[in-house]
Amino acid sequence: MLLEVKDIRKSYGTTEILHGISFSVQSGRAMGFLGRNGAGKSTTIRCMMDVFRPNSGEFLLDGKQFKTEDYRIGYLPEERGMYSKNKVLEQLVYFARLRGGSKEESTKSAKEWISFFELDEYANKPLETLSKGNQQKIQIAQAFVNDPDILILDEPFSGLDPVNAQIFKDVISEYVSRGKLLIFSSHQMSYVEEVCDDICLIHQGNILLTGSLDDIKRDMGEGKLLLETENMDSQAITEMLCAAFPDMECELYDDALILDTKGKYNQSQLLKFILDKSLNIVRFGMYQPSLNDIFISLAGGDTK
Amino acid sequence: MRNWKLVFEYELKTLLSKKSTIIPTIIIALIVFGVFNIPRFVGLFSSGDTAKEYKPMQEIVEDVGYVFEDSETGEKVKAALQLPDENIYKSRDELVNSISDGKNELGFVVLAPTKFESIWQDRDIENMAETTFSNLLQGINAGTMLAEKGISLEEVNAIQNIQVEYTTTIMGKDTSINLLIAFLLLFVVYMIVILYGNVTATLIAREKDSRTMELLITSTKSTSLILGKVSASAVSAILQVAVIGLAGYLGFMLNKDLLPEFIIMALSGTLTKQYIITYIYFSIVGYTLYLFLYASLGSMVSKVEDVSSATAPVVFLFIIGYIVSSFSMSAPNSNLVMIVSLIPFTSVMLMPFRTAIATVPTWQYLLSGGLLLVTTILLAFLSIKIYRQGTLNYGNKRGIVHAIKAAFNKE
Repeated sequence: MLLEVKDIRKSYGTTEILHGISFSVQSGRAMGFLGRNGAGKSTTIRCMMDVFRPNSGEFLLDGKQFKTEDYRIGYLPEERGMYSKNKVLEQLVYFARLRGGSKEESTKSAKEWISFFELDEYANKPLETLSKGNQQKIQIAQAFVNDPDILILDEPFSGLDPVNAQIFKDVISEYVSRGKLLIFSSHQMSYVEEVCDDICLIHQGNILLTGSLDDIKRDMGEGKLLLETENMDSQAITEMLCAAFPDMECELYDDALILDTKGKYNQSQLLKFILDKSLNIVRFGMYQPSLNDIFISLAGGDTK
Repeated sequence: MRNWKLVFEYELKTLLSKKSTIIPTIIIALIVFGVFNIPRFVGLFSSGDTAKEYKPMQEIVEDVGYVFEDSETGEKVKAALQLPDENIYKSRDELVNSISDGKNELGFVVLAPTKFESIWQDRDIENMAETTFSNLLQGINAGTMLAEKGISLEEVNAIQNIQVEYTTTIMGKDTSINLLIAFLLLFVVYMIVILYGNVTATLIAREKDSRTMELLITSTKSTSLILGKVSASAVSAILQVAVIGLAGYLGFMLNKDLLPEFIIMALSGTLTKQYIITYIYFSIVGYTLYLFLYASLGSMVSKVEDVSSATAPVVFLFIIGYIVSSFSMSAPNSNLVMIVSLIPFTSVMLMPFRTAIATVPTWQYLLSGGLLLVTTILLAFLSIKIYRQGTLNYGNKRGIVHAIKAAFNKE
């Protein structure tokens, strides 16, 4: 399946929130939809789920107009909400059946997911009696019941402790490996980096970047080298390198330097120079930016 | 249709399993059953110990002291009440002392044939002794005056009590008897609408407040959700009324022979086939209309605490209906009453009420019933649109005009 988002525009009153965004999601490849707070992630997802209607543009699935009612979709909204006073199992079955599942199938699936999150003892208790973390697991379970073909998750990792986040990552990977279509938004880069094959970066209602995460990392690291030496005096080394290699830019990165050769110098030339200067190398090689680096460099500011 | 049924089943199960539904239903059913059993219990307690008969003259004899400053009137009072001498005192002071000592509760000082003073220790609100004694003096004085004119008291009584016999033939309705039951059933509709209307509005506002609404509308269509919720509320109320009605019916059947005749007459006079059909139709369709209205109002607010202020205006519709119902007692077929009984929001109350107390032309039934049905269907469509629009508005409370406008705007 290929889900295409084509030139979506959405305004609230006179303010345009989404300025004609386009990207695509391929089944079998987890897509991370990234952006800062207020970038337009949830609005895009709500338009996709037909909660909001876009002013223009279209959503296509395999070339045909995407209608949520035609597919079995698991959805986890950004603002979680289920019936707090109703029993856990009862409402999981209810939501699953509303999305087209049979009673037997929905009950079986709901029980499996409750067991998966080790919450069997709460199955027949009201949701409000569970801790916040466990309520979050039930919210996730409601998106997964009845094995949906498409899974749209808005900030799925928020509220999960590291152990449960790891369990959830495994679930997502297993789900995608079965050729299902997954899109999830997040601003927790480490999780996205571990789980996603593709990313799409939205900033102030515009798509800044979209494509394979590996390709993006490679492209953004092209012509750049990473150097770290023992007892490094970054200032002195920068001056030394810039004098020897005009046009090269040096940038401090943690305890190392990123050397942007602009394609004018190769790795051997630089290595020879460093060895000639008798510097003790700790790290030297091609630089590949982390997703966090990419995000900061493109969207700017702090990330969570 | 499948999801409508699913929503209906889920919401109905939730409503019926609530303690706030079960407990009041049981309590009201028991009260209704109990009310019909009152004559049985009264009978039990009164058997073998006949109730003390109320004798007004006792009030001015037992524990009552007298001082007669006018001796002629005193003799007549003594004779009329067969007063023992111990009840008579020589002076006002002696009488006051007897009251202070607790020997008497009350004292009368007769100053002249038409003038007396009463002296109390503690005055009981129900004690009519002064009026009784005043009437006695009036009678004594009247007797004296009639005697002076040579007319006996018996002759006067005979003139005053000439009996006129009459029979009544009622072609239409007997308003005097039917009013009681008609008002009672009007109150039942009012209670159900207000109670379940608020339940429905709160249900929807809570879904919005807790963000469950977003999950719901991405899982199924707004039509299924609104229709499912409203029909669940409607059926829940009907079941509640049926349980209470059954309790009333059982109570009535068990105690039919013991109930006062006027209750039997009121029930049989009001609960005619025509009234029952009118009541059921207007109550159920009108109740559904109000539920859609409440559902729309619930969709307009974002917080549960705003529900009561948003739904408050609905009560005014009922107040109008109630006032016109009261007015219709004296003029059930006046133009005002007729017009208000045709308007969908008030016909719910007025049509069954008019049916109980007057003869309503058939065309008015058809027009009012038709208008009510059409309005209910239109409001159902409108409430679905407002509900759907409500999901887009997670902000402040919206006014009804804005909500209707937004419902027809392209999002």
